[in-house]
Amino acid sequence: MVLLDNSNFILLLEKIANEAKKDASFTITFKRYDGNDKPVPRAGRKPLPKPKTNMCLMRAKCKSKKISTVVSQENVPTMMAMYSQFMKSKMDGLKRVKKVKSKAKATKA
Amino acid sequence: MVYVKNWEDFEIAAENMYMANPQNCRYTMKYVHSKGHILLKMTDNVKCVQYKAENMPDLKKIEKITSNLVGHMASKE
Repeated sequence: MVLLDNSNFILLLEKIANEAKKDASFTITFKRYDGNDKPVPRAGRKPLPKPKTNMCLMRAKCKSKKISTVVSQENVPTMMAMYSQFMKSKMDGLKRVKKVKSKAKATKA
Repeated sequence: MVYVKNWEDFEIAAENMYMANPQNCRYTMKYVHSKGHILLKMTDNVKCVQYKAENMPDLKKIEKITSNLVGHMASKE
């Protein structure tokens, strides 16, 4: 697992998406991340330190390639803008639905 | 686990599941270009809701729910 910064993550994700286009798939996972990398201790032991902030952990996987990044609160808008751009450009294999012109519009034109 | 057929049902179920247990929830999307679909999954290791998106207009909705969820995940509460 390679931990990257946000923009490098998107760049590599685009590469992975291109590779996966032919005959593979890729998976992206989002989950909350509070900075603790240790498991929760058993009862009676010292609990983990209280998290100061929450972040979002993004992981991507294609075949055996795995990358990840951590998005903090102030980076969410820029990251989501980049991510939606990525979705629009790379997830383009979905069926296009033809817009049905409404009758009112059709008669006006 | 079966797929939820209706987008609104999935959206509500996924958000409720996340709100009930934000620490353990994860949200996954899998894109398969050759089959032309995106699989969305929200699970808290106990329950799981899934949705299969096959049409282009779904992409906008996915974008919206994803940014919503990421916003929640990175918020202070």
